[in-house]
Formats: sequence, C-alpha cells, structure tokens
Amino acid sequence: VSFRLTCPDCGKRHVNEFTFHGELRERPAPDAPFDRWVHYVRRAVNRHGMQLEWWRHAAGCGRWFLVRRDTGDNTRHESFRVGEAPRPPGGE
Amino acid sequence: MRPRVRLTAHPDFPLPVDPERGAFSFDGRRIPFRERDTIASALYAAGVDLFSRSFKYHRPRSLYDGHGFGADVLVTVDGAPNVLADRAPAREGIDVRSQNAWPSLGFDLLALNDVVVPLLPNGFYYKMFHKPRWLWPIAERGLRRAAGLGRIDVSGRDAERRYEKRYRFPDVCVVGGGPAGLAAALSAAEAGRQVLLLESRPELGGHALCDLQCVTFREAPGATALADLDGLAAHEAVARLAARVSAAASIEVLAGATAFAVYEDNYVAAQRGSDLFKVRAEAVVVANGASDRHLVFERNDLPGIVTGRAVERLVCRHAIRPGARAVVVTAHAGGYRIARLLHGAGTAVAGVVDGRPDPGSDEAVEAVRRLGIRILPGRSVHAAVGRRRLRAVEVGPVAGAGRERIDCDLAVIAAGFSPQLSLLAMGRGKPRWDAERGVFRAPELPAGLYAAGEVNGPARTGRLLREGWDVGAAAAQGRPAPASARAPEDAVWLLPPDVDRGGSKHFVCRCMDVTRAEMRCSIAEGYDQLETLKRFTSLGMGHCQGKTCYEAAARILALEAGAPADEAEPTTMRPPFVPVSFGVLAGRAPHLRVVRRTPMHGRHAERGARFLHAGAWLRPADYGDAAAEARAVREGLGLIDVSTLGKLELSGRDAAALLGFLLPRPVDRLAPGRVRYHTMVREDGVLYEDGTTSHLEPGTYYVSTTTGNADAIYADMAWWIERRRLDVQLRNLGPALAAVNLSGMGSRDLLQPFVDVDLSNAAFPYMSCRSARLADVPVRLFRIGFTGELSYEIHFPAEYGESLWDWLLERGQPHGLTPFGVEAQRILRLEKGHLIPGVDTDALTSPFGAGVGFTCEVGDRDFVGRAFLARERGQAPRDRLVSFRLAPGTPVPDDGVLVFAEDRMIGRVTSARASPALGTGIGLAWVAASHAAAGTRLRIRLADGRDVSGEVIAQAPYDPDGKRLRG
Repeated sequence: VSFRLTCPDCGKRHVNEFTFHGELRERPAPDAPFDRWVHYVRRAVNRHGMQLEWWRHAAGCGRWFLVRRDTGDNTRHESFRVGEAPRPPGGE
Repeated sequence: MRPRVRLTAHPDFPLPVDPERGAFSFDGRRIPFRERDTIASALYAAGVDLFSRSFKYHRPRSLYDGHGFGADVLVTVDGAPNVLADRAPAREGIDVRSQNAWPSLGFDLLALNDVVVPLLPNGFYYKMFHKPRWLWPIAERGLRRAAGLGRIDVSGRDAERRYEKRYRFPDVCVVGGGPAGLAAALSAAEAGRQVLLLESRPELGGHALCDLQCVTFREAPGATALADLDGLAAHEAVARLAARVSAAASIEVLAGATAFAVYEDNYVAAQRGSDLFKVRAEAVVVANGASDRHLVFERNDLPGIVTGRAVERLVCRHAIRPGARAVVVTAHAGGYRIARLLHGAGTAVAGVVDGRPDPGSDEAVEAVRRLGIRILPGRSVHAAVGRRRLRAVEVGPVAGAGRERIDCDLAVIAAGFSPQLSLLAMGRGKPRWDAERGVFRAPELPAGLYAAGEVNGPARTGRLLREGWDVGAAAAQGRPAPASARAPEDAVWLLPPDVDRGGSKHFVCRCMDVTRAEMRCSIAEGYDQLETLKRFTSLGMGHCQGKTCYEAAARILALEAGAPADEAEPTTMRPPFVPVSFGVLAGRAPHLRVVRRTPMHGRHAERGARFLHAGAWLRPADYGDAAAEARAVREGLGLIDVSTLGKLELSGRDAAALLGFLLPRPVDRLAPGRVRYHTMVREDGVLYEDGTTSHLEPGTYYVSTTTGNADAIYADMAWWIERRRLDVQLRNLGPALAAVNLSGMGSRDLLQPFVDVDLSNAAFPYMSCRSARLADVPVRLFRIGFTGELSYEIHFPAEYGESLWDWLLERGQPHGLTPFGVEAQRILRLEKGHLIPGVDTDALTSPFGAGVGFTCEVGDRDFVGRAFLARERGQAPRDRLVSFRLAPGTPVPDDGVLVFAEDRMIGRVTSARASPALGTGIGLAWVAASHAAAGTRLRIRLADGRDVSGEVIAQAPYDPDGKRLRG
C-alpha cells in the first residue's frame, strides 16, 4: 500500500504514518455464547470492497478515527471522526 | 581488434568535441576513453566486439540497443557485478571485466552449449536429470554453477556503504526528459506548479538529441514556449527546451535518476546511484518513450547487429564511425535518416532494406536516393551470416522466397518502435494492441496519471512536443488528459516480427536465449498462453524483463497460435522497470533509525555501560559485571534506571471504570495510596503485559507498563475512551518523567532524611504510593520492586534526570550504592521467580498457567478477555510456568532449551541464570502440568546436547516468604 490517508486533524498524509486496527466490528455482549466470541476474536470478515475500519495517526497526532475504504484498490476512501461515521448494519 | 574511427566532423550533424580523458582496463586490456564516453562506447570505439556471453548458450554478445536495457553489455566494474556498460560512465583506472565466460571471453567452454543444446529439448534440465533420483543433486550443482550472471563480491567491501532515502513532494512529476517530457515539465511549470523531472541519463533531451528530423508543427504550436522551435532540427529543439527547463525556478531536474515504479496514488520510486527517491506527486506524467522494435530472424543476435537508436547514439553522441559497410533494415523514414547519418560518418551504406512495397517520396528517402544509396523496397532481413560477428545479411521479400546476400559488418535494425509501457501498466492491467499505430498501448490510466510522447506510439517530433505540452497543462490543472492523436504519416509500417517460419537460431528473447523454435515446441507441449510459456521457457524473464522482446513475443505467439494480431497480449508488467540493487531497496540509513535514550543516558555512558536495545530504547545491560551488581543489591544497595517504563495517568469520572474494563481485576477496592500488581490479557485471554496500578490520589490512577508495551497500551486506552465516549483524562507521562528504582536494605535509611513523608513500614508499607518531595524535587514514590529487596521506585520530572541520579549516587556512597543494569535485574527477578511477559510468555500463555491467576477476577463484570478467561478458569492448565533450581556446579542452560522427563519432551526453559546469592543456576520453565509439582526432577538438554538435572521448586528460590521485601 502506498496511498495517502486523510487524518481528520492533520489532513492527507502518507499511509505509513498510520496504523491499521482492523474492520469495525461489534463486540459481542458479555453473556453472548462462546462461539460468538471465538468468531469475534479469531475471524475477520476480510471484505473485498467498501469496508469501515479503524485507523490511528500513530506517527502523527495519535488520533483514532474511522475510514471507509475500498479494500480492492485503495482508490476510494473517506475518513470520519468517531461518532460521525455512517453505522453499517451490525457495526458497533 | 582495430580501434574504430573517431569522427571530427559530420556534414549533417554538429558532432560533440570531447577531449580524451584517460583509460581504464577491460579484461586487462587498456581502453582509452573521452569525456562523456560510457564504458560501452569506449569499448566499441576501441574496436571491442565481444562484451560478454549470453546466458544459456554462451553466444557472443556486443553492443546492441545502446539503452542499457538488455543483458548484452553487463560487465563487472571494480568487483561490482552486472553493471550496464551502456549506462555507466567510463572513469579513469576502473577495472572492467567481462561476465559469464570461462575460462575467457574469447574461448568460452560453455559455448559448447550452443552446439549441444539445440539437440536438447526445452526445460531439459527439469526433465533429464530426474531419473534415477540420485542424479539430480549432482546435476543441480553443475547447473547452479553455470546459471546466473556475474559474481557477487562477498568481500564485504561495501558493508559500510550508505543508502540514502530521499523524499520529494512535487505537484507534477514528469518521468523522462525527452521532447514530450521537457514540454510537459515546462507547461506544468508555466501553469504555476512545482515540477520534478526525472531523467535516467545524465543529460536532458532523450534520444531526440541524436535526431536529424525537422520539427514541424502541423497545427499552430499554441504556446509561446514552443513556437520558436518550428523548423529546427529535433536535436536543436530539445537542446533549447532543456536549457529552458534547467533555468526554470519551479522545475527540479534529477538527471541520472531512473524511475523504476509508479505505485498507487502516484507514488514514484526512482534510483540514482545508492539513493532511493520516493516521490509523491499530485500528478505524474510518464513520458519515458519507446525503443527500437526487436526483429526476429536467423542469427539475429550476432555482434554487428545493432538497433537504429544505438547507431544514432554512437555517431551523434560519441562521434564514432559504427562500421565499414552497413545495411539498414527499416520500414519508415527514420531508417533513411540513419542511412544518411552513416553515410556522412564514412560508413559505406550497402543498402536500405525497406519492408514497405513503396518507400514513397519522403524528404529523408529522397536524400538517400540523391546519395546514390541502393534501396531495396518490399524486403526484409531473413538471416545474418557469420560465427563470432556479422559478415553479411541475407535479404529477401517480406513474403515470398528468394534471398540475396549483402556483405556488411553492420546491420542496423530500425523497423519501428515499441513503447516502454511498464511504468504505465504495472498493477493496472495489460497493454492492448493498437492496430492503427502498430504498437501496444497502455491500459486505461487512473486519475492523476498521464502518458505523453512516444509511449503513446511513435510520432514526428513536433507532435511529441505538442502532446507533451498539452498533457503537462492537463496534469497541472488536474484535468483529464487530452486524447492522444496520431496522423497517418506518424505511423510506422508494420513489419512481421519474423518474416520466416522460424528456426533454432531465431532469437526472440536475447537475455535468456529463447528461440522461435523453442517457443513453437513449447506451444506444442501445451504452453500456448504467454504467461505459462514465459514460465516454461523463461522468455522475457532475463535482465531486461521483456523490455526488448515483449512485443515480438506477443505477436509471434499470436502468429503461431493463428490468432489475429489484436489478440496479441504481452505478459503482466511489474515493478521494477530497471534492475534495482537490494541495497537501494533495503539498505538502512543508520541516521534515520529512531533511538530513544533515557534522561540519564549520558551518565551510563560515562560509567562504561554496555547498552542493549529494548525496542527503540537503549538501556544499560550492565556496567561491566552483572553478577557483582546483583550481589550489591542483595548485600547493600542498588540503583537502576527504569525511565523506559510506560507511565500513564488517568483521572476523570470514568477512570476506574476504564481500568476495570481493561484489567482483569477491578480497581474499585484499590484504596488511595495503594499500589497493585496487574496483568493484562487480550480479548482472547492471552497474557501479554504486566505492570502496576497505583491509586495516587482519590480518583487519579497511575499505571506503569512494560517498556515494550508502553505505546500500545496508551493507544489502546485512548481507543476505548474514544469508542465509549468516556470521561477520562489520559496523560502519557512516559517521556515527561524519569524513573529509578532504589533497591536494597539501606534504601529507607538513605531516603528518609530527604523526603517529606514518613517511610516507616507502618506509614508507608509495601505496595504503597505517595506524592512527595525528595531533595526539593517533586517525586512520585512507590514502594515496589522487582528485586525482592526493600525498594522504592522514584518517578520524577525528566529534566532532573541526571541531577537526581548524581545526587542519589553521591548520598548513597556511604551505603555502598551501586548502579545496576538490566542483566543484574534479570538475575534478581529470577531469584524471586518473577516472569517477564514476552520473555517467559508467548502468544498462547494463559495467566492461570503462568501462575498469575490471582490477578484475574472473573465474575459477571465485563472486561477485555473475560469470555476466554471464564472458559479457561474452569479447566486445569495443560502447562505451567515453574521455577527450577539446578544442582550446584551445573552449567546454566541457554534460554529456550528443551526439558525432558524420561525420554519425553515436556517443556522448555524460558530464562535461566546463575544466581550469585544462591550459588546455583536457577530459572523459569514451562512444563506439562503433570511435572509441575515441587520436587519434580527435570532433565534439561543443553544446547551442546548434554543433559543437566533441575528440580521444580514451589516458591521463589530467594527469600520465599518475602521478609526482606516487606521489612
């Protein structure tokens, strides 16, 4: 990957400045059946296409934010502050 | 080998006058050179016709394309293999050696392959040596020795070489400094943009510097910067443009920098020497041109057969008469200009072989007619004659029989051009055949990536300039590129890639010696798709990566498979466009590596500390003698720098709730002024961290983390605060605070006179914390320690780092205070049986098996890892982490060795050290739960294969009741 990502605070920066923290997923309820927890911990959806995911501007301001990104080719992506992202069905 | 004539004048071209500069050696022979000579041009001028041997058949190789694309001119320079002689400047005294020949270039034993191999089928080495099975290892050794190009210098001479990474952020990056690239750069600069121009050669102008044709604009040039070029010869026009580009303030020119990849989002990688340039541009204009079309005919690889552009370069840039008697093979006016150039250089032109039935009456054709040079229309070259170099060519009709032999020592292949599409096509799909232009074209380009010039198909110089200008303007404004257009007179009449049915000496791929006969044979075996054919025959897998032959290979395959020409498809183009040395890609620049030093680092260095890397940190491993340092802590007083620990302060309404969620034990019952040891698990219940939680003041918590996890835990806390919208003020005090641990029986006596809090056991017991002042420095005082002695951890502002360190050492002198390093601490903590996450744990470690289950309270409360811990709690751990002790005098095992019971492997040692306090080896080991009971004998296998005996012990080896710790 060599694209540029937009930090809601700092703007467009090289993706190397950011750390990726996986797709946005709903954490199971504490009393959820154990296999739901296994699924949550061990299996990523690994979507091909638009996906909402967590990023952090680790080598910059440290901000956590959400990105909706086309995992197919990285050409389309949009950044959101937490709480401003469109909630996907089943999302957190 | 007679030297070739250096020209002093040419009737049609102003030759450069380059002074002689000196000489270098080639396989021991002295080669004089002039200014601006490349190694190849100097060798050629000296009359050298044999540069190297080909990869498979060891056929003779000489100068061919003049570009430095092919493997023909690879030489070893001063021990560095695979230097392109076409590109490398000649320098005084360098030692140039030929490659791929043994025992010598002139008499090469492996050239026998040339005689033998035609009898061997394709992939013979896969097929032939596999039965009987014992044969392959022997055969492989021989094949490996014969394979490969050049020899790597393993003397380590370049070990200290620096590889720099350089960064550029232009608005527009133009790749290629030919007519289109120069015009694009100027036009983008005129539009107000910052422009970076990458040119792989040392001078701007591209091949047009050697071009005789006149610039004519069919339409008005439309731009003042180009208007005055109308009517100039191409070489004059580009020289003028180059001067303007060099003078433009907003254009940076990187000459000698070769772009080797264009990655997503316009990230351009280029190399220049040992520097790697990483260029991020809003728009990229690829104008890296085209090279001569590769023609396939019998013995088409003989020395003496050169491309049109190589000949133009030899004459115009290096003032060399390329040969005595030449035949030009062409299909367009350009070939006639080459004939004129040769004629003017004193080479007798025996004929211009033109594939076109009617050459027409172009000005260049007329000029050749006037010179009385014979023109052979409707013909092409069918075969070359000669063994070690060219003696004649056989020409005949493009379609039909009847050959005529023409004696010559130079055959010029000027049959049109193949665009160099790699940079445009890599990662973006396959080029497609454009029948109108007779070339492959780039696939559809993403926004921000533009193509200009010959890379879109050949054209007159005027059109190339105009196209470059228009594309540069579009790139500057972020507009879509204007449609590329070509006029009928721009098109090059298309010769078949091979006019014959082909044979065993028709070389399609020069780098890997793949012939048309081999292609046909492989197709018959079922490899009828170019991608599989490439993998089977290694066609296009050589040094040039198909830059020379991609078009010929695709068209011949279509021909062989009976498919229409527009279905021809080259193989996938991938980075890098040119060979890049590993050093350029992977070489680390030491000055760019992040190094973190503690506030007291200078003091450690003065004391002669041996440092170890802990992540980015440098920590003192010891100050000379770790065992003595450990003994000093046990018998007196020690001081260790623990500034690298993570230090996080949490306050706010939800602080306790957040900690209760991230830690497996809630902090509700942790009273102000108290400290607690904690572990942390991931959501999957795996132990990855331990540290302390201190309730510093009511509602304010202070969390210390291990050095390695400090940043990650800070980020994780910030994440949950963000996700759950918590009212928590989180402060990362790691870099702001220094920290030391004062450890040993005398620590209380040392500190008490200088602090404003009561340190007595009753007022400040083990696992307590206070804010205090120590020698007037505001400190956070913790009665905790890793060593098992009475210890105080002191956290204080980093700016007092050295002064408080010095102060403590000075005051501590009467108490025998000794600084100790990480290694002594590792011994001390093993004496107490304390684990270190990441050292004694791995990616499967459960806190229950590790013996720290007391840090987990798995109730109804939700916390990170609860689901998995709840499940594990009900099951007996399979393995346990235990302390063990060796018999006195037994050698101490290395960390990581295996543990046996009888003959069964039951575990592994994670840490072991010799304990000065106990006089024996001690350690921690993971063993099967069945062997974890105190008193169990363990057989520990040393790295050298010997076994030593250890005994599992139930408690800490040293001071098991913790009397010294709590005293």
